[in-house]
Amino acid sequence: MRSRAARTGHLPDAVTGWLARGVIVFLYVPIVVVVVLSFNDSDLTYKWAGFSTRWYGVLAQDTDLLAALRVSAEAGVISATLATLGGLFAAMGMARLGPRGRALFSGSLFLPLVIPEIVLGVALLSVFGTLRASLGMTSLVLGHLVVTLPYAALIVIGAHRALDPSLDEAAADLGCGAWQRLRLITLPLLKHALLASWLLCFTISFGNIVMSTFTGGVGTTTLPLRVYSLLKTGLTPEINALGTLLVLFTFVIILGAGLRQMRRVLVDDRT
Amino acid sequence: MTVTAAPPAPATASPTAPASRSRLRHHGATLALLAPAGITVVALVLVPLALVVRNSFAAPDAYGGVQGGFTLANYRELIDPVYLKVFGYSLGMAALNTVVCLVLGYVVSYWLAGRPPQRQGILLLLIIVPFWTDFLVRTFAWINLLSPGGPVNALTDAVGLTDGPAQWIPSQGASFIGLVYAFLPTAIFPVYATLRGVDPSLGEAARDLGCGWWRVHTKVLLPLVRPGLLAAALLTFIPTLGVFVIPVLLGGGKNQLVGNLIVTLYTEFRNQPMGAAASVVLLALMILSVAVLGTAARRLRGKTS
Repeated sequence: MRSRAARTGHLPDAVTGWLARGVIVFLYVPIVVVVVLSFNDSDLTYKWAGFSTRWYGVLAQDTDLLAALRVSAEAGVISATLATLGGLFAAMGMARLGPRGRALFSGSLFLPLVIPEIVLGVALLSVFGTLRASLGMTSLVLGHLVVTLPYAALIVIGAHRALDPSLDEAAADLGCGAWQRLRLITLPLLKHALLASWLLCFTISFGNIVMSTFTGGVGTTTLPLRVYSLLKTGLTPEINALGTLLVLFTFVIILGAGLRQMRRVLVDDRT
Repeated sequence: MTVTAAPPAPATASPTAPASRSRLRHHGATLALLAPAGITVVALVLVPLALVVRNSFAAPDAYGGVQGGFTLANYRELIDPVYLKVFGYSLGMAALNTVVCLVLGYVVSYWLAGRPPQRQGILLLLIIVPFWTDFLVRTFAWINLLSPGGPVNALTDAVGLTDGPAQWIPSQGASFIGLVYAFLPTAIFPVYATLRGVDPSLGEAARDLGCGWWRVHTKVLLPLVRPGLLAAALLTFIPTLGVFVIPVLLGGGKNQLVGNLIVTLYTEFRNQPMGAAASVVLLALMILSVAVLGTAARRLRGKTS
């Protein structure tokens, strides 16, 4: 009915249709402007003064930003790995639970998704304060683990539930041990989900700013925290250049994670 | 990502559920598998949350740390017009942001669901890209756009709406645009996911029976996508309350959200017990809003059916 209404040119449908197209344009204009202005040969971001790639050169020389980039990459790799492994184990464990236990466990697993991240950050900081633990890479990674684990669980548990249990049973009947079944059946079948989980967790950790504000230490300023403090004094073309690279990075991650996985997580699981 | 916050429904009769005898045997292995995630949730989420609640009743020491004892002073201090204004402003902003995101989210989802299936995939990708783009990039993008003499200003100058550099940033309006921009993709996914599952012939039938455009939506489609709208509302409302980057960068830090208040209390005032109290209030607001939305949804359902 929707397409037919559009064909017959029903006025309200036409109006909302154009509004929808407008929204998609609205989503892209800011991103496109960042990319375009990153090539601006001017010290001001918004006054166009010809094409130049010099800001990328400036960016490559910025040791502070590069150090922050390294911290973020390190935290991203560690927390994405831990979260994905935790998600995998949880998925396998949950398959062995009864319906009640499964509901309870998944409920607590997804709890962090409905609690404001800032409260989760404050909470972790309180624990580190009480333990008199100094803030650094460990606290940063633990914070990112809290934020990423629900997403890893969402992806991996969903994929694990879609597996045909008879494969595992058949392997067990044929004398495969638990380790063999994991290596030969479960892992190969889940590899796309695990990759998607890892990439998405890495992205979440890499871009995280709220949790890092509380769990990052003096020597572990992440890239977003560094950029945020730079932005407080003003936007520079150099930051636009960095933003462009991050947009590029988003494309790579989305293509790497596989669109199908992405769609499954964002819209298909619900239906 | 938070779009699918709803936990997967437990399968009622899973064929994988082992018989109770072997389940006992597998008990140890099951616990070992659940331990990493379980311990993470307990040690890094539940215990810390309990500690925040405890700290919110503690007295601060000379350095703003937690001294212990039991007092309501932190909460009493929060009942100050300055802080109440922050809470009121946050609730208003979050509500407004949620309404705008839901309306636009529904409009986009309805349009999207009416496209041919292959086009839907491509269009969905178009929404996924900004959704995954770095939060800070999406925020500072608006500094580019709204700067005096920037692209938007050049456009309004050309059309004759403005004459010369306009001071749009920092402002409450810029801050609000930043919030809508940040949460709009999040709101689209759950609405689209439910709308896609609605049989298009329902709307068609309503139209054939003489329902006008407005009534097809309000009487037939909207009630059916209510779960998606509800999910979208939660995923927009709750995080908006905790945002602190957007009001600082786009709003100039003048009109603060609860998130700004908490960060300020922790990092600038270094008053941990009071920061904890503000966090508990935010948590309570969140629980309250979930309850209100849930009740509203139930009441609506009673009315329409």
